[in-house]
Amino acid sequence: MKLSTAIASAVLFLAALATVFWQYRQPAPVALTPTLTGQVEYCLTCHADLPEISPAHPVETFGCVRCHGGERLALEADLAHSTMRGGRNPSDLAVVEASCGGSDCHSGSLAEERDHIQRVRTGIQATYAGAIAQIRYTFGAQPDAIARYGIYAIEAYQMTTPRAVPYLDAFDPAQESSQPVKAFGEQCLVCHLSVDALPGAPNARLTGCAACHTPTANTDLEKPVHQLTTAMPYTQCNTCHNRGNYDLRAMHFVPRNDQPADRLHDYYQPIAQFVRCEWTLDCVDCHTRHEAMGDGNLYSSKKDIQYVRCYTCHGTLDKLPLTRTISDPNDLALRMAFLTPVIDLKVGDTVIVTEKGETLWNTRQLQDGTYELFGKATGQRLTFRPVKGSACQQKPDQQESRYCHECHAVQR
Amino acid sequence: MRPSFFHHLHPPTIPAAQSRLRYTLGAGGLSVFFSLVLIVSGVLLMYYYTPTPQEAPLSIQTLTFLVPFGWLVRNLHYWAAQLLVLVVVIHLMRVVFTGACAPPRRFNYLLGLALLVICVLLDFTGYVLRWDTGIQWALVVGTNLVKTIPVVGGGLYAFLVGGSQPGAATLIRFYTWHIFGLTLILLIIGGWHLFRVRRDGGIAVPPPELRPGNNRITRFELVRREVLAMLLASAGLVLLSITLPAPLAPPIQEGSALVAGARAPWFFLWVQELLKLGDPFLWGVLIPLVMTMVFVLMPYLLPNARPVELGRWFPPGNRLAQVISAIIVIFILIMTTLALL
Repeated sequence: MKLSTAIASAVLFLAALATVFWQYRQPAPVALTPTLTGQVEYCLTCHADLPEISPAHPVETFGCVRCHGGERLALEADLAHSTMRGGRNPSDLAVVEASCGGSDCHSGSLAEERDHIQRVRTGIQATYAGAIAQIRYTFGAQPDAIARYGIYAIEAYQMTTPRAVPYLDAFDPAQESSQPVKAFGEQCLVCHLSVDALPGAPNARLTGCAACHTPTANTDLEKPVHQLTTAMPYTQCNTCHNRGNYDLRAMHFVPRNDQPADRLHDYYQPIAQFVRCEWTLDCVDCHTRHEAMGDGNLYSSKKDIQYVRCYTCHGTLDKLPLTRTISDPNDLALRMAFLTPVIDLKVGDTVIVTEKGETLWNTRQLQDGTYELFGKATGQRLTFRPVKGSACQQKPDQQESRYCHECHAVQR
Repeated sequence: MRPSFFHHLHPPTIPAAQSRLRYTLGAGGLSVFFSLVLIVSGVLLMYYYTPTPQEAPLSIQTLTFLVPFGWLVRNLHYWAAQLLVLVVVIHLMRVVFTGACAPPRRFNYLLGLALLVICVLLDFTGYVLRWDTGIQWALVVGTNLVKTIPVVGGGLYAFLVGGSQPGAATLIRFYTWHIFGLTLILLIIGGWHLFRVRRDGGIAVPPPELRPGNNRITRFELVRREVLAMLLASAGLVLLSITLPAPLAPPIQEGSALVAGARAPWFFLWVQELLKLGDPFLWGVLIPLVMTMVFVLMPYLLPNARPVELGRWFPPGNRLAQVISAIIVIFILIMTTLALL
């Protein structure tokens, strides 16, 4: 054999060795076949260290692709991630139907209370119709404060109250003739479910469902949080709420520049008054699913949907709070208590319900006529008495919180 | 020893001038080698590839990422195909620029041109088999070009695509053309082409009485040189396959639009650039066809190199053909560059 042939053979041999090296340099594929999809996926090859997103979405059942999309077989990052829905956040409202929807998931029937997506898309936190209507009314662009526009055009999912409107058109600031309304549209649409968060760790939230259900407050959004929860701490609500004020002259949002630390003393507006439960509980301990996520009606104001009051839990002078005894083992309240196990709710327990029939599943009536409530995020247990039979001197037609605050507000 | 096709291609001795690398560039031999690599790797790919729109991109992903050395087989197939088109074009240029297409090799030149066309069609049909968002644009544009041909366009489109738009029928037709129809034609014409090389007196050199020297090499030396070229080409293929993986794109989603900024495969970039000039039939079909016909008719209509001029580069005898070929090649290179910019 001549030298040139020997050298060429050696080169080819080395190249062949290199292919073996290349093959075994790759990480061994980690397969997962979620029971829900039945299709093998290899995401865990790289993402083995991700925590399970929630006890309600076990990875053996859901896998990754059902929610995130992506190329389940690709072991090359760019290709694998190329078809993911919503980038890191599949719950963005633009893609949420494909990610979280489905009749057995979150766009199912009203009867089964699986219609989260339909309700959220019509909810006022997503449409922002209240603020838009108020500003247009204030600056003379419409004759009343009834909502006409939303962040996107949408039809009502439900029409159960005369206060609701049947549809909203998409709000387009460029079409507005009033300068302040135009400026509002350009500078103030910063706190709805489809827009990215304002900068700063206290504002850190994602969009869509994850805006509330992924606890990102006071984290770095560059480092994704792989968690969904129904026990949102108040700090998550405060990524939008209590973040500052709108300056109606300059028409822009003025973020607060202090660093609130103590919740009672410097978190909220100085003029606001609070009773103890309002600053020791989390927002979601009292405010219900329909209040936060909407009930399918298109409302013109937060006031139209926010209805839980002091009396919801405490009753009035002549009425105890509304209650209901759980008899069905498949009751939604038991499902909810299972997901956020702060209370050992069981069939036979009596829980408080709202006037619209929503169950406050984290409460329970006790034998002695008092009630207990468990903080969803904190797990803390509070007990409380009804107004009826107490020394309270409230007038029956004065049930708004400001009347209760007159006696019960804490010193700030 | 019984005579065989191998012995037909490798006579006991041949003139040394016929196997000088700087004369032949080894392009013909490399074409044969790449074709063999393509057949072997292609058969291996067929065990994993599923020719349905749903499964095709997934089966390629499975092969690429999950089957041990599957990526290697696919990348070897890809690179052998790209290099085949390249060396076949180089081979054509060598033949024109050395005047080797003169009679008696005129007919074999035509067979070679046919092989070039078949190689390009094989490359395009293979490219389409990925059936992902990366090929969508070229498939739609390419098949729509067929539609623009007067009289027969509609029928030809239906024959190739099997419907009013690309779908499952198109994929199975392209698959069958790729692995069977075109491959069979390639094997028949390729075998004929090789047979005719020796029948026409081997690689073009002057007749013995006009040759300056009469050095000859043995069959063994010829095979050794071929093996050397194959070893080096194999090493090159493997290194390319390791460092530059064959392209993959996300699967086509139901009702998704064509990917913006999509491109034709590199060997059709010049046609893509021509299409920007206007009428798709004129620029996309007629002009490429005319260019091919120029090459077909060249040795029949233009002056050929004289026997004494053979065996070296740029003989004066067929200068006109060389100039026309150079213009066409430079034009294609410019158009390709423009498309890449």
